[in-house]
Amino acid sequence: MGVKKRKKMHQKRILLTLSDPRAVISEQFRTIRTNIKFSAIDQTIKSIVITSSEAEEGKSTVAANLAVVFAQEGKKTLLIDADLRKPTVQYTFNLMNTTGLTSVLSHQVSFGQAVHKTHLSELDVLTSGPIPPNPSELLSSRAMENLMKEVKEEYDMVIFDSPPVIIVTDAQLLANQCDGSILVVRSNHTDKEKVMKAKELLNSANTRILGAVLNDKKVINNNYYQYYGEK
Amino acid sequence: MRNPVSLKELVLFIKKRALLLISLTLLFGGAAYLITTYFMTPMYQTSTQLLINEEKSDQPYVNVSEIQANLQLINTYNVIIKSPVILEQVVEAMNSEVTVAELNEKITVQNVQDSQVVNLIVTDVDPVRAARIANQTAQVFQNDISELMNVDNVNILSPAIVTGNEKPVSPDLYLNTAAGSLTGFVIGFIITLLLEYFNNTVKDEQHLSEILSIPILGTVDTMNNKKYPDKIISGNVSNIDTRRKGYGS
Repeated sequence: MGVKKRKKMHQKRILLTLSDPRAVISEQFRTIRTNIKFSAIDQTIKSIVITSSEAEEGKSTVAANLAVVFAQEGKKTLLIDADLRKPTVQYTFNLMNTTGLTSVLSHQVSFGQAVHKTHLSELDVLTSGPIPPNPSELLSSRAMENLMKEVKEEYDMVIFDSPPVIIVTDAQLLANQCDGSILVVRSNHTDKEKVMKAKELLNSANTRILGAVLNDKKVINNNYYQYYGEK
Repeated sequence: MRNPVSLKELVLFIKKRALLLISLTLLFGGAAYLITTYFMTPMYQTSTQLLINEEKSDQPYVNVSEIQANLQLINTYNVIIKSPVILEQVVEAMNSEVTVAELNEKITVQNVQDSQVVNLIVTDVDPVRAARIANQTAQVFQNDISELMNVDNVNILSPAIVTGNEKPVSPDLYLNTAAGSLTGFVIGFIITLLLEYFNNTVKDEQHLSEILSIPILGTVDTMNNKKYPDKIISGNVSNIDTRRKGYGS
């Protein structure tokens, strides 16, 4: 990862739901939250993997903003950066990434010690921790299973930010352990063949695909999108 | 492949690549303008009008076949004007300034519709020389025709004159610029269509649900730095306290 890219990540991670809850985009995230709830009728969704076919489609942004809107709704929410190859959550929330998921999985610290509180009382964040040499093995480990059980008991909603599903198997491993997965697709950017491939891979991971989120949609007509009741 | 392109989609494509289309149109138009102005040699045209009298006829009325014969005669004259017999003399008279072959290219003979007037048009880079060629040719022709055809019925109606403010007949600046612009637009349009044709990315919700057949949970608009100044930078989210900051490391 080049310096330029790292800088971009520093600057452009967007948490609009937190800074401007009345923005159109915040409302769009609340709609997604509602749709997630409706997507499971018989089963409550308590853990979600956010993934996409390729890099740079907005997984981390969607994951972070979704975590915020769930927390704003009063659900005790945990955002876990499970992208152990290119972690970004620490930038989004301005956190230190000295300990995190990998530290917990390797039993260096307990979950309670690694988790960060945010100023949203219902939202906790677990950063990735130091980048390990064997992310896939860590994510499919017994330790991960135990952690999953632990956090599911403690939180109403656990959201995993994961690597792209086509490139590495991590997202599949996570999806297999979660209640559902969400595929982020970037408008006018993602190749449709790759989207189909991503869906196939998730299906083979035996997860429930809750649905897709179309990200980065160009706003053509502003009038229609104006916040209801704003003016 | 997706459905054939609808008119509405086509308009959208064009809108999306309007900048490309406009810039290509301007680019090609501008290039044509510049090339025409600076690189093409302007050509000037002068003409001499020759009147070819009909032969005196004893008959009191005009015979249809006679008119026909006259017209054919004029056609014959047209060929004679451009024949080497005439042109060689012109070359000679002009001190071999031009060759016969060049003259042949420069001279056009036009029959004014249904009349006995013949236009001798000369195109040249120099308007003065064009006029000289035209007049010389007319002169030589007038002199020689009596010898060749045994008639003396060619009059020079109006000699070519140089007024000094001739406008070049070619290249046509407006026409070339317009043609250039049109070419640019067409190329841009083809590029637009090709780009769309090879664009294999997901476009909108409908397209996505067609591909995936899974529910679309929602869409997120482009997060625009300009639209949300200061609000979107992560560092601006204030009051985040961390529990056990830096613990264990």
